[in-house]
Amino acid sequence: MEEGGYIKPDRDDPGTGEATALPGPVLSRAEPRGLAAFFRRRSPVDVLFATLTGAAGVFIIVIVLGILGVLLSESVLSIEKFGPIGFIFSTEWNPVEELFGAATGLFGTAVTTVLALVFAIPVALGIAIFLSEVSPNFLKGPIGVAIELLAAIPSIVFGMWGLFTLAPIMADHVEPALQSVFGDIPVIGQLFAGTPMGIDLFTASVILSIMIVPFAASISRDAFNLTPALVKESAYGLGATKWEVIRDVILPHARLGVFGGIVLSLGRALGETMAVAFVLGNNHQITSSLFDGAASITVTLANEFTEADSDTYLSALFHLALILFVFSLVVLALAKYILLRAQRKERA
Amino acid sequence: MTGQQWRKLRGYGGLSLSTLAAALGLFWLFFILSDVVIHGIGALTPELFMKDPAPPGVAGGGMRNAFVGQLLITFFATLFGVPLGILGGTFLAEYARGKGFARFISILADIMVSVPSIVIGTFVYAVLVRPLGHFSGWAGAAALALIMIPVVVRTTEDMLTLVPWSQREAAFALGAPYYKVIIQVVYRGAATGILTGVLLSVARVSGETAPLLFTSFNNAYYSADMGQPIASLTATIFQYAMGPFEEWHTQAWAASLVITLFILILTVAGRAIIRWRYSHR
Repeated sequence: MEEGGYIKPDRDDPGTGEATALPGPVLSRAEPRGLAAFFRRRSPVDVLFATLTGAAGVFIIVIVLGILGVLLSESVLSIEKFGPIGFIFSTEWNPVEELFGAATGLFGTAVTTVLALVFAIPVALGIAIFLSEVSPNFLKGPIGVAIELLAAIPSIVFGMWGLFTLAPIMADHVEPALQSVFGDIPVIGQLFAGTPMGIDLFTASVILSIMIVPFAASISRDAFNLTPALVKESAYGLGATKWEVIRDVILPHARLGVFGGIVLSLGRALGETMAVAFVLGNNHQITSSLFDGAASITVTLANEFTEADSDTYLSALFHLALILFVFSLVVLALAKYILLRAQRKERA
Repeated sequence: MTGQQWRKLRGYGGLSLSTLAAALGLFWLFFILSDVVIHGIGALTPELFMKDPAPPGVAGGGMRNAFVGQLLITFFATLFGVPLGILGGTFLAEYARGKGFARFISILADIMVSVPSIVIGTFVYAVLVRPLGHFSGWAGAAALALIMIPVVVRTTEDMLTLVPWSQREAAFALGAPYYKVIIQVVYRGAATGILTGVLLSVARVSGETAPLLFTSFNNAYYSADMGQPIASLTATIFQYAMGPFEEWHTQAWAASLVITLFILILTVAGRAIIRWRYSHR
């Protein structure tokens, strides 16, 4: 019943209960199939209700295709002017001369997302391990709920907190400390160059990582919990320590589910807007230092959409939205595919 | 050190690290929540709910316009989104159950749940705002409804699937047509679950800001006209927090506190209902 829980109907087994649900009224089994037969067989009200629900179901497809179509047609101007490929690689973002490119936005989105995942994955795995193996039973519920509440906090609150509370802490303590440790190392030092202001890629990534930890953690926990007790007990029986069971039995067993959860979190992080809008600076540049401001696709849209004063400007913003939409669809579909495969493997 | 001691030591290390990770998660939750409470509680006065904003920089005033706007937008989003979502979920779990087509829509809805909400905002802008020439509360409600629908579709589908097939068969045996079986038997059996789904989807959209920025926009004055730009709590928080005035910041914190509490209460209530319903059978 969880995520995409789907029950394969089995026509030969007229059993009861959830596990072997039949695909339609049993009475109709011997009757002719097909759409025409469907309409002849049912009462008019039933046909009406079926059509109504069908229309609502198909509406989901209409929404997705509608968004794709509308964004595409709104982007035409920008696609013609800057080219579908040229737009992606152009670092230009100049509303005055009406020259636009997605490279700076993609850079901001990519850096914050990747960095957020790097911060979030170890914490999420730790939480999942704690919740499934380490925690005493009476703590599992409350701590699990608390972690999921973290996911329920609206992103604008994360953003405000980031701007007024986290950014000053970053600027005064965390970033200078990082600078003094890594600043003198060649190459790596570049990442921590500049004056720490707190309004930068680094702070945005930290906030983003806090936001995605709950997703990754809860999916990983569910994956861990699917490890059969028998397999774990066999490992314990051979004298393995708890940590060895986790590392060598549970983690390999759950790796597909964990990976799916990570890809899903990646999809979430790509589209997060308000939490980063406050602390990223909306500065269209590609920079080598994490302590510089930048612009992500979402932040650009949030800040500039209502200010776009020319058709080209607006079209370029729609073009950004289109790229973001297609990209998230691909990433989320991939996550879904991995999770479904993990589920199927579990059932087999 | 013997091999065994080393293995034990490494085990303790690993387990401590995972405990530390859980502590870190809790730390962030309490840090953020307490920070919102500390900054917001002072401005949480009756005036915040009863008065309209004072001119920028002037002390006093409230956010009545934003509260009213937020309620209107969320109400109409729910009004459109929930019935459509429930019907769609019914199609997937009943009429199209087991069909590849239903499975495709279900997966698509799952994907839509996580699609960036700001993209929905740009879509509604192109469809409902620009053709009409102005921002409107309706556009905001439409954007939130579009975000709600996939959530409600998926929970409805899951909850209907949980109703045992034998209950439907019993109703079929009495000669009831499928629509009557669905409405009188299946919906009744799944009512609590669907209600929870609705609660959680309302919680989900109440905190949305990005899709409102260019649909319902904002309004510094009181307005209950859904055909015009209308204030919302979240868009006002964004404007106030980015603004230069100390009073604005304080009020933004207070509004954040209200909206966070609202969402957390809905979320906890939804979970509690589900647990109560599906453990005492």
